[in-house]
Amino acid sequence: MNDFELEKKLKAARVPVRDEDYWESFPRLVSARLRAAPAGRPMVERHWLPRLAWGGGIAFACLVIGFAIGHWHGRMEKNDPYALLQNGKVLHEVLTLFPNRVRAIIQDEHGIQLVLSDQADLPASTPIFVHICDGKQCSSLVTFSGQELEIAGQKVTILSDAQGGVIVMGNRFVWSSNQPVVAQTGLRIEARTLKSVTL
Amino acid sequence: MGDTDEDKIWVLQSRDGNPAAFEALIRTHQRMIHSLTFRMTGSMADAEDLAQEIFIRAYRQLDSYQGKAKFSSWLYRIAINTCLNWRQRETRREQVHANWAESNDALRSEPESPTGEDALGGEVQAALMKLPAKQRAAIVLTIYDGHNHAKAAQILGCSETTVSWRVFAARRKLKRLLSAKGGRHE
Repeated sequence: MNDFELEKKLKAARVPVRDEDYWESFPRLVSARLRAAPAGRPMVERHWLPRLAWGGGIAFACLVIGFAIGHWHGRMEKNDPYALLQNGKVLHEVLTLFPNRVRAIIQDEHGIQLVLSDQADLPASTPIFVHICDGKQCSSLVTFSGQELEIAGQKVTILSDAQGGVIVMGNRFVWSSNQPVVAQTGLRIEARTLKSVTL
Repeated sequence: MGDTDEDKIWVLQSRDGNPAAFEALIRTHQRMIHSLTFRMTGSMADAEDLAQEIFIRAYRQLDSYQGKAKFSSWLYRIAINTCLNWRQRETRREQVHANWAESNDALRSEPESPTGEDALGGEVQAALMKLPAKQRAAIVLTIYDGHNHAKAAQILGCSETTVSWRVFAARRKLKRLLSAKGGRHE
């Protein structure tokens, strides 16, 4: 099946028809619900308290993790400055602490930072280790396929394929573990999946 | 996705507390929203519930609509986010419902057909429902609603590359599902 045939088939599947009475009554139904609901406009500002609690909780957890990681980091830095990000036990603990929320763990000249999603909406997948140097600064991170991140001054999207290959896409380059060369950008990239880390 | 100056007038009147104006907005956009919610849920009942929720959310956020974009685009963005959040809630609920249904055979009902109409519609909708929600949203936006990848990215709040990847992955899976012999609703 080619793309054209697929689109044709998808478009041939129509949404079931509702009768005119439904369309006539639906706006009134919504209006009735709005009248019945005690909440008014705007909704945006009413949920600050739980958000504040969540924010505080996450900040505290990040602080604890930061200390733990810093402790590890101090011990391991002498050998490989990026060994921490490839340590299965540490990654497993961080990922278990924030299930389906970790977008990336980034390590650069400023230290280590945890990038979390607002909601637990990230599918479980094999972590990917990426190291990027632009000649002036280097950054390493562990992330997951489909994540868009800013690293070493570049906005990049990290993808993995079924064969375990990694693709790193920026605004002006595409790097693949099958063709690990980035022409004319001066970037040096290494990337691989961390198959030993399981959730 | 049509849009008129009337929309903006109705928005202003709705903000002033005129229920008839908001009903007029609903009347204008309800079919678009129902199409989206049906594609995203595969169920007429869930599509209706979600459509109601979307318009209620839109009403409560009307003050944040600045009138720079089309009202339909603004509403569509609320709709797609509500659909994606619904999927997360449903995933959590599904396990509870499954456990409950197993222990209550007498109360178990037949699963709702995705369309209740033609076989092709059911087959396609079943295949759509097997996609991850974000990939399904990308297909709905680009194929059913005709948005280009840049516009879809704007609505979904992600990069164009991410949309392209989701569409690519979704197409690959849909081809496999719809080409397979007996690839009907399992």
